Amino acid sequence: MTAPVNDDLWSAIGDPTRRRMLDLLLTDGVGTATSLSEQLPVTRQAVAKHLAVLDRVGLVNVTPIGREMRYQVDDAQLARAVAQLAAVGATWDARLRRIKQIAEAIQRSQQQ
Amino acid sequence: MEFGSIEREFHVDASPEVVFEVISSPVHIREWWSAETDIESVPGATGELVWGDSATPRANVVPITVLEAQSPRSFSFRWCHPNGEVATPSNSLLVTFVLTPSGAGTSVHLTESGFREMGWEAAILEQHYNEHIVGWDTHLAHLRDYLMQLITTG
Repeated sequence: MTAPVNDDLWSAIGDPTRRRMLDLLLTDGVGTATSLSEQLPVTRQAVAKHLAVLDRVGLVNVTPIGREMRYQVDDAQLARAVAQLAAVGATWDARLRRIKQIAEAIQRSQQQ
Repeated sequence: MEFGSIEREFHVDASPEVVFEVISSPVHIREWWSAETDIESVPGATGELVWGDSATPRANVVPITVLEAQSPRSFSFRWCHPNGEVATPSNSLLVTFVLTPSGAGTSVHLTESGFREMGWEAAILEQHYNEHIVGWDTHLAHLRDYLMQLITTG
């Protein structure tokens, strides 16, 4: 299934605490609300809420282990999010290349 | 919502006057942005950027408002604010071009700032449009025809 690409994905990684959580999950491989809250200046409850947001947009995969939930980063969805962040800069680069080409062609034609 | 910005600096082998004309006039914006527009390069002017094809000529319509137009030094505008609303720092993206003479050409400094969510949406929209409707090859062909026209009529 292709996860929907929309504002939710952007908002999910727009939050600094959630980005820090993604960093920790990427470094450690897996994490729980408890293990993450031990490494962050926020409560376990707050971490659980953030994890729910990440889960909703498909950025993490959840596996129940006993009474805890284990979270892992979904590589494909993270790659998609990163590509979209880069797209904002890339579209300006494409526009600027065209501006340069058009302006230089006009300048050359004026000098002929 | 998170505030973000993009910054680029590049050199163009053309005078600031030519570059200003290319970035600010609808006839050129049509070429480099693939968008139809009726915007005037006058502070306060409002208009639209329109993307579409023959089946749906107004598939995507995005408002644009000119803030500053000082030929040949600077051109800035806000875009992506909701249709029918006045552009403000909290509902739009701000784009600023600053042109500085550099040798025989121009140094162009671009910044775009605003809420990243909007920039993302706009980028996706444009990427989608460019990928599916107007490839860069088509663009070059258009540009060639267009320049021939400029040379013959100018």
